[in-house]
This record gives sequence, C-alpha cells and structure tokens, in this order.
Amino acid sequence: MTFAVGILLRFVAMVALLLVNGVVLIYMLRKVLGHLHLRIGPNRVGPFGLLQTTNDVIKLLTKEDLRPEAADAWLFNIAPFLVFVPSFMAYIPLVFGPDLAVTNLDTGILLVFAVLSLVPIGVMMAGWASNAKWSLIGGMRAAGQQIAYEIPLLLSVLGPVMMAGSMDPAKIVAAQAGTWFGFIPRWFVIPQIVAFVVYVIAAQAETQQTPFDMSEAESELITGFANEYGGMRFGFLYLAEFSNMFIVAAIGTMLFFGGWQLPWITTPGWAAPFVFMFKTYVGIFTMMWARGSLPRFRVDQMLAFCWKRLIPISLVWVVVWATIQRLTLPGVVR
Amino acid sequence: MSDGLTAPPRIAPEGSQHQDVLPAGLKRVPHGVDELATEHLVLNMGPQHPSTHGVLHVLLELDGEEVIAAEASLGYLHRGIEKLAESRRYHQVATLLDRADYLSGLHTETAFALAVEQLAGIEVPRRASWLRSLAMELNRYASHLIWLGTFGMDAGAMAPFLYIMRDRELILDILEAWCGSRMMFNYVRPGGVFADIPGGLDAKIRSWLAVADSYLDDNDALLGGNEIFVARMKGTGVIDAATALAFGMTGACLRASGVDYDLRRDVPYCAYPELDFEVPLATAGDNLARYQVRIGEMRQCLRLIHQLLDGMPEGEHTAKMPKAFRPPVGESYAAVESPRGELGIHLVSDGGPTPYRMRLRSPAYFNLSIVDEALAGGLVADAIVTLGSLDIVLGEIDR
Amino acid sequence: MYGLGVLKGFGITIKNMFRPAITVQYPEQRLVIPKRARWAVRQKMDEDGVPKCTACLICVKECPDNVLRVFTSAKDGGGKRIDAYVYEVGACMMCGLCVAACPYDAIEMSHEYELATRDHDNLVRVLLRDVDAAPIPRKPREDAPAPTGGTEATDA
Repeated sequence: MTFAVGILLRFVAMVALLLVNGVVLIYMLRKVLGHLHLRIGPNRVGPFGLLQTTNDVIKLLTKEDLRPEAADAWLFNIAPFLVFVPSFMAYIPLVFGPDLAVTNLDTGILLVFAVLSLVPIGVMMAGWASNAKWSLIGGMRAAGQQIAYEIPLLLSVLGPVMMAGSMDPAKIVAAQAGTWFGFIPRWFVIPQIVAFVVYVIAAQAETQQTPFDMSEAESELITGFANEYGGMRFGFLYLAEFSNMFIVAAIGTMLFFGGWQLPWITTPGWAAPFVFMFKTYVGIFTMMWARGSLPRFRVDQMLAFCWKRLIPISLVWVVVWATIQRLTLPGVVR
Repeated sequence: MSDGLTAPPRIAPEGSQHQDVLPAGLKRVPHGVDELATEHLVLNMGPQHPSTHGVLHVLLELDGEEVIAAEASLGYLHRGIEKLAESRRYHQVATLLDRADYLSGLHTETAFALAVEQLAGIEVPRRASWLRSLAMELNRYASHLIWLGTFGMDAGAMAPFLYIMRDRELILDILEAWCGSRMMFNYVRPGGVFADIPGGLDAKIRSWLAVADSYLDDNDALLGGNEIFVARMKGTGVIDAATALAFGMTGACLRASGVDYDLRRDVPYCAYPELDFEVPLATAGDNLARYQVRIGEMRQCLRLIHQLLDGMPEGEHTAKMPKAFRPPVGESYAAVESPRGELGIHLVSDGGPTPYRMRLRSPAYFNLSIVDEALAGGLVADAIVTLGSLDIVLGEIDR
Repeated sequence: MYGLGVLKGFGITIKNMFRPAITVQYPEQRLVIPKRARWAVRQKMDEDGVPKCTACLICVKECPDNVLRVFTSAKDGGGKRIDAYVYEVGACMMCGLCVAACPYDAIEMSHEYELATRDHDNLVRVLLRDVDAAPIPRKPREDAPAPTGGTEATDA
C-alpha cells in the first residue's frame, strides 16, 4: 500500500509542480519583458499582479471551445495533448535534492530528450489539422526547426555525461561535488564551455523562443500553429511551452551547474530544492532576456545555422573531449 | 479556389494550364503545377494582420516558403478625403489632410498650404516658413521612430518598439504644447501657421534634443548593430534604381537604391534653402540600405532642428488672410519631402470658396506598387520585412 | 567577433531594466495637459458668470462637420434669446476652428478629455439652455479671435 501511496504522492507532486511552475513562469515572463521594455507588466490583479495568471487560467477554462468546421477533428483534438504530455513526462528524471526525485532512472537524460522529441509531432499535427494556411506554415516550420535542433541538444549533453560516466541525473550531480585546486567548484560548465554554449542555443531553439521562434512568429503568423486554437486547448499548448522552458533550464542546471549543490559549502538537505529552483530560474530569466532583446532568424538561416555550424561544432567537441578524457583521466572519472 | 459568388474575369495568359476562373484578385493564374505535382498556395496576407501596417491586403502565391507572385489589394481605408475636400473651405481642408497620412500630418498640411499660396500668390512671412520647417522636422523624426519600432517588430525584436514609444512621447508632448494636439494638428494654414511658439517650448525642445542622440544610438545598436538583424536584411528585398524610378518611388526607398533625389535640397521650399544638411544615400537597394538611409535621415533631422532653433527669425507667424478666401481660377502643384517621399497636392480652383479638385499624390502608394517586383523570389519572412522597410501608411495610400 | 552586436543588445536591454518604468498609472496618476491642448468645447463666462455668447452663429458656420447647432428666438424689446446651444461632442474632432473663429472669445477648448461614455445621451451636450444672448460689444476685442493659448509668451 505504501508503494501505491508513494506513487500517488509523486504524481500529485509532479502535477503540482507543473501547474505552479506554469503559473509562475507566465507571470515572470510578463514582468521580465515589461521591465526590460521600460514598462511595468501586470500590477492590477492582486498585489503586484500576482493573481494575473490564475485569472487568465480561469478565463481560458471558461471560453467557448471552437473548432473550425473543416479541421480534422481527431487530430485537432489530440495535438495539444501530444505537445503537453511529453513535457509533463520530462519532469520524472529531475533531481531536486540528495534524495528528492520522482524516481531514480539510470537513463534519465535519455528519457527527457526522447519524450521531448515527440513535441514537434504534436506541433505539426496542430498546424496541419487546423486546415488554415497560416497554421500550416507554422507547423511546417516547427517540423524543420525543432527536429533539427534536437541533434545539437543531444550532442552537447554528451560531454557532461562522459565526464560523469552515467546518464543518471543523480550521479551527474554527485560528480560535480567538491572543487578543483581548492577554489574552483567542480561544475561541468568550466571544462565544457563549448558544449554549454551549444546547449544554450539549442535549448532556446527547442523551446521556440526568440531568436528561434519562427514557428510562432508573432508578427508574421500571429500564433503560428496555434492560430485556430482557443480556450483550454490553447492553454495546454502554452503551458507546454513554458513547461519545456523549465525542463531545459533544469537539465542545464543539473548537467552544467551542479544541480542542487552550493559552490563551496555542503548543501543541507532542506536547502537543496531552493538552490536548484534558483539556478533554474536564473537560466529561465536568461532565456526571457534573449526573447525580449533579439530579432528572429529567418527559417533557412536558422536551419543553415544548425546544420552547418552547431552540429559540426558539437560533433567535433564530443570527439575532442572524448580524446582528452581518455588521455588525461584513464578509466572512469573519479 | 473561386468563391463562386460572382464570376471573376477569365483572364488567362497564353499557354497557361488553368483556363478556369481566377482566385479573386489575382491578375495572373497561379503558375500551378511543377514537376513534383505540388500545388502552389495562395495565401491572404489579409487586411487583418499585425504586420501590414494598416489594413492592407496582399495576396501571396507561395511555393512552400518562397513567394512566386504578390499582389496588393487596396481600398480598405478609403474615406473619400479628396471628395470631401471639395466641400470644405480652404482653412478647413487641413482637418482632412491630417488624417490622410496620420503619421506626418504636418507635411500634408504644408503641401496644401504651399499649393494654395502658389495659386493665390500669397507671400508667407519668413518666420512662418521657419516654424513650418521646425514642425515638419519634428514630425519627420516622430514618423521615422514609428517606422523603426514597427520594422523591428516585423523582424521580431520587441524592445525597440517600446523604446521608440518613450522617445515619441517626448516629441508628441512638444507638439501638443505647440500645436494643440498630438496627432491631428490642424496647424499649418494657407498664409502661415496658426499660432506662434509658446513660451517654454524652446527649452522643452532642447531638453529633448539632449537625450535624442543617445536614444537613437541605443535603438540603432539594438537593430542595425545586431548580427541577426543584418543577416535578415542584407540582400533581401532588392530594388534596383531603374525599377524604382519606373514605379515612381520617392523618398528613402529611392535614395537607398542609389538615386540621389531629395525635394528639400533639389526643389527647396520653406526654410530649407537656408539650412545646411546632408542627404544620406545608399546603393544596395536592399532592406538594410533602406534602414541605414532612414537612420541617417533621423540624425540629419536632429541637426536641422538645432539649426532651426538657433536661427529662428523674428516676425509674424502668418500673413493676413481674408475672411472669405477665394483664390483665383487656376491650378497649382506643390510637393514636400514627407517621411515617405514626395507628397504632392495638385489643386484646381474655380474661384469659389472651396477647392474644385484636390488630388493628393501619395508617396506610399507608389512605394507600395513595387510589391510584386520586390517580394517575388523571396521568402514569406522576407516579404513581411520588405513591406516594413517601405514605410507605408495606409491612410495616405487609400485616402 | 561574431555575436558582439548581440551581446551589446543584451547590455542595452538589461540597462533599461534597471531604469524606472515610464508608465503613468492612469487613473491614479495623470499627466499634465499643456495649455493649448484641444479637447471638448466649453462656453466662457464673464466676471458675473454670464455667458459671453452673442449667438452670432459664426462657430456654427465654421465647423467642418456641423457639430454645433444654436437655436435662437427673438426677445421682447430687441435682442436674442438662446433657446439651446447644442454641441455634439461625440462627433467633434476637436480641430479648434470654432474657437479660432469666435470674434467675442465666448467659447474655448477645455482640457476635458475623459469623454468616453456608455450612454448615448452623453454624446450630445446642451451647453446653454434658455439664456439671453450677450449683447454685441461696442468694440470687438482687438486681440480676438485669440488663437488657443494666445500669441504672447505663456507657459507651454
């Protein structure tokens, strides 16, 4: 019985984290973009506008559920779930503390990227099933962009995985404890700086943030593949987008910045989740900062950048690091 | 793809595969089927779109992402300004003209005033000419700020749009304190201007000038200095000089294609013969060239405003105009360099208190006519950006 | 180095993040309207609170959109009585031509800009009802018609 109760508790915790994250992130996006642009952002609904997103969620839930008559009904209905459920599943391998995780997976990193690769299918479905030309363009762009950028995302992750010797997030975080020469924290970002830069760019593209937001380019396609969606279906698509942002930022924290560990002091167990969330939110802030500052690439330039620059760089880095590691640290790390 | 409501004309060019009715609006049949047996997509970049800068309807024929043909369908903002002008007395026409090109109302008013003065032989006091020039340069800067922000938005950059709004607020405050309104000025009348500068305005303009340069540098660094932006703009939407001249383009679009023509310098009016400024020129004819020409124009605007403030002559702000003004029978044409190009008013008078015919030569109309040449061959994303670089205002295109 | 422009752009936006927002939070805060701003038309009264309007109907003729209507009737013993001075504020474009044309400085452009309403009846205002038209001054003011704001140096 305790096993079933345990599973139920973890499930509820995941759902709660997902929903709270979504609400907080949408509010944070609006506030961050506002202040970057000399505005204020929401500040009327609730103190400092904190209840704005809950209001928006209620509004989305009570909206009329429209579907274009000529849209492919089955695909149209299924597509938001195909976008949303993978990002929900990707919370499973996240490690919040020394023994605070949903479950211990030996192939946690692999799971995350495997389920995230289902998202472009959902996006394409949404674009196609809407039976509208603007949505179709958005869906086709997402097909090219998101599928292409998964490759450098995965390749850049191989560097830290090699350093830690495992795909288990808990082991990767544990491998980043301690310091080099006594004062540099043993975070993987320092030796893996090239992989980190590639990861940041690929993450920005994978979550369709400016400068890589071609598939939902606001000034061209309004909302791209999500044009015909309204009400909670649209809510799911957007919740999935913010949830994806959290996932890639969390993976980046675990792989490159030592996860829940503080730099020089041993982290007490109660503080670990806060440290982890803080680091993740700094990463998300950087993504939002880029979103508010940069223009977007054109589709062919973006794909050329991926195939001709990012993938060769990440491939070369994998080979180079493997060679370095084999020559300098024979056997498994530590 | 016909809507079946009325039968569109059966115009099919020689040897085309489709002899049926055309999709509404397209003059040419979609070139149809290629070797892969894929159909071309006809897309409505419709009247409701965040990036058409007004209610513009562009029909795009797409092959995947590439634009094969483009056609602009106008008239969604037609309000009959030219016809209404035939029943307004001469000092009331300015209220109509403000609303034609709503981003540069003072230029349209000045063109009309110059046409009337040319027709009736009225001598405008020197101070009035200088006041008109100062107002026009402020308006030009404000209009170019809007262009800058919306151009950035078309490319995806959200930040410059909000920053130009801050800069523009300062200018609109100045214009409100001076002309009485932020956008519908009703300030330049035949004979001069409506009122002189109020007391504290000189200090207000100078305090804005002190920060304008650094704000412009910020915006230029965010866009023109950004590698992503340059990669998008370089080499896209190329218009060569011969095509530009053939379609009647004027203004920054023409100067970016290499033709050195600026009415302020070549056919001077108001205070411009006495002012010292440069006319930026580029030869590439692509979106980046148009961007750089307009940024250069903005910097020259600041230079001109300094000179206008420092050298403002004393005198009357208007000539004495009779209460019931009836110009002699005849016609005249006067043109000014508006932010979009050569804005001309052709005025025909039959001796009555209202114009017999007033025709507005709208520069954006001619700039927009390039759309088939410039958009074809590029991608949809380039189409959006090229339309933004032309700096069109539907109010003056449709009147 | 490729990417330097992008980084400079980041610097500009983050610098602006730490500047105060330029938002004026209406309705708690309001901007000061300059003296010459043209909003709804309003009748002017002289020192005794008597309207200065002489019902000369020049403003009615000047308005490009025929927004003003004045209904008069004759008074016993000469003179005019203004039955109603009707101003269709919903159609007014605030061009100021009526005020500029009034030779007796009897109307002005007020600073009332909060004109939005949910009630159709508020779109038409009766500015004067059933008052005597002021007598035409012996010598019309020299500086009338005064342009809005005056020609001499006053605060902007």
